[in-house]
Amino acid sequence: MVVLEDVEKTYHTHGGIIKALRDISLHIEKGQFIVLCGPSGSGKTTLLMTIAAMLRPSKGRVCVNQNDLYKMSIADRARFRAGNIGFIFQMFHLIPYLNVIENVTLAGGVAGRSRNTVQVRDLLRQLGLEGRVFHKPTQLSAGEKQRVAIARAMFNRPKIILADEPTGNLDPENAASVIEHLSEFHRGGGTVILATHQLQAEKFADRAIYLRDGSIERHD
Amino acid sequence: MITLGLILKEIRHRKVNFLLSLLAVVTAVALLISFFAASKASERETARLMLSMGFNVHIVSKDINTNDFLLTGLADRTMPEEYLEKLARLPKGLSVGQASQQAISYNHLLASLQKKISWRGLEVILTGLASEVCSPDSKKSPISYQIEPGNLYVGYRVAQTLGLKDGDTVEIEGKTLKVAKCLAESGSADDIRIQCNLRDAQDILKLHGQISEILAVDCLCFAPTDNPADVLRKEIGSLLPQTQVFHTRSIASARTQTRQMVGNLFAVIMPLVVIACGVSVGVLAITNVRDRQQEIGIMRALGYGSGQITSLFLGKAVVIGLLGAAVGFLVGTALAMKFGPDIFKITAKAMIKPELSLLAMSLIFTPLFVAVSSFIPAMIAVTYDPAVTLREE
Repeated sequence: MVVLEDVEKTYHTHGGIIKALRDISLHIEKGQFIVLCGPSGSGKTTLLMTIAAMLRPSKGRVCVNQNDLYKMSIADRARFRAGNIGFIFQMFHLIPYLNVIENVTLAGGVAGRSRNTVQVRDLLRQLGLEGRVFHKPTQLSAGEKQRVAIARAMFNRPKIILADEPTGNLDPENAASVIEHLSEFHRGGGTVILATHQLQAEKFADRAIYLRDGSIERHD
Repeated sequence: MITLGLILKEIRHRKVNFLLSLLAVVTAVALLISFFAASKASERETARLMLSMGFNVHIVSKDINTNDFLLTGLADRTMPEEYLEKLARLPKGLSVGQASQQAISYNHLLASLQKKISWRGLEVILTGLASEVCSPDSKKSPISYQIEPGNLYVGYRVAQTLGLKDGDTVEIEGKTLKVAKCLAESGSADDIRIQCNLRDAQDILKLHGQISEILAVDCLCFAPTDNPADVLRKEIGSLLPQTQVFHTRSIASARTQTRQMVGNLFAVIMPLVVIACGVSVGVLAITNVRDRQQEIGIMRALGYGSGQITSLFLGKAVVIGLLGAAVGFLVGTALAMKFGPDIFKITAKAMIKPELSLLAMSLIFTPLFVAVSSFIPAMIAVTYDPAVTLREE
C-alpha cells in the first residue's frame, strides 16, 4: 500500500547541507498500524510529510496505493491527499474562526463529499464531542481539539491516517483516548502511521520503525 | 464549505486587518469620487471666473495691411476718431445689438494714432493717445496715463540716443513739445516710442480727426461660446462696418492653461491616492497572509489546491473592494456635496450631485484594483510549503 524506495531528503541551508532522510526503503501493507519512533530531529515528521504527498523527496520514489505520488501534478497530489490521506498534527492546527463541525467538514468540499450533518454528528459523538459541535477551537480543551483534528482526518474516510506526535500536547488520559481512536480506525481496516517518541504506543502497533539521523535504525 | 463562507468568517475573525484594508479603500474611493464629482464644477467654475478676467480687442481700419499689422503692431491706415465716440456713447460699453441681447461689454477704451516716423535720424513710433474712455458701469480705475497737450513722453532708447531729459523742449515736424517724462527701459517697442496727446499727434501727422486703433480692454463676452472673437467681429462689425477686429489671445491662452493646470493637479493627485491605497492594501494583505500561514498549510494538507487558496485571498479582496467602493462612493459624494458649495460658489449646486455612473465604475474597478493589489500576497500564500509551516510550533 505504501512503498518508499531509496528515499532521501536533503535541505540546503546557510549552515550547510542537512540530510533529513537517508536511503529510506519501506513497505507498509494495507491495514497496518505503524509506529515511527525516534528522538526529535530523527526525520519522523519529514517522512510523514513525504508519505502525505506534501514534501517531495530529493531522491527516490514514494507510492501510495500504486500511485507514484511525485510523478503527479501538484493539483492531482492535492486531490489524492484529500481523498486518501488524513493528517493529525501535534499542534492540532484547527482553523480558529470555524466551529467544530465546520473544521471537521472543511476538507469535505475538496474531496467531493457533501456535508452530511447526521454523519458528522455521529462521528463527533463517537469522539465524545457531541456537546461541542458549535464551539470554536478557543473554547475547547487540548484533548477536545485533538479529537476534533481526528474527526477532521477521518471525515473523508481516508485509507491512511498519518499522525505526527498527536499525543505530544495531551495529558495521559487524553493521549490514551487519541491512541484508542486511532486503533479503532485501524481495526476498521484503515492504515495508521503514527510518529511518536512515546514508546508505550508500540503496544498498539503492528510494527515499530526506529529512526535516527534520518535513517531507519531498526524494525520491530 | 463554500469559499465565500470561509472568507466572511475569516473577515469576522480578523476584524482589524479587514477594517484597516477597508479604510484604505474607502479613503481612496471617497477622495477620487469627491474629486470626480467636483471636477465638473471646478472646470465650469474656473471657466466662469476666468471669463470675468476679460480679453483685449484691437479695432483697426478695415483697409489696413493685415500682415504688416500683425508683424509690427502698427496700423498703416487710419479711421475716423468718431468711431471711439460711437463706442463710448453706448450706455453699457459695447452693448451692441439689442439691449436684451447684449453679448459684449468692456471696461476701458484706448484710442491712439500711431505712425513710424523718422526723427532726428532715428526711426521712432509716434503715438498720440486719446483720453481713456471707461465703461459707465465699470468701477475700475483708468489703466493708461493721460498726456497733456504740448507734452511728450520719450521712450528709453530714444532718450538715450538723443540725450534727452525731462524738461527739454523738442520740435517734431514743426511742432514744439516739452519732454515731460523720459520713460524707463521696457525691453519692448515702447523704448523707441514717443508719446503725446492725440491732438498733437494729429497735428504732427496732419491727420486731423483720425485715429489708427482702438484698444478695448477687459472685454467680457456673455454669449455662451468658445470663440468670443467671432461674437466680437459680428457685434462690432454691425456697429463699425469700416473696421476689423483682432482678438488678443494671451488671456484666452491663460484661461486654457489655468483649466489645464487644474486638470493636471487632479492628474497628479489621483494616481498618488490610488498608489497609496494599493500599497496599503498590499501591505495589509501580506500581513494577513503571514498571519494565516498555518491555516494555509492545513488547507494544503487537507487537499486544497493553489486555485482554491488564491480564491480565498482574491475573494476577500473583492469583498473589500465592493464594500469599499460602495461606502467610498457615499462618503465621497457626501464630502463633495458638503464642501463643494464652499469652494465652487457659483456652479456647485448645479454640478455636484450623486453620479450613478461613478458608483457603477467604482463597483467595477475598485474590486479589480484591490484584487490586483492583493495578487502578490495571494501568490505568496500559494507558495507557502505546508511541510514547513505545519512543522513550526
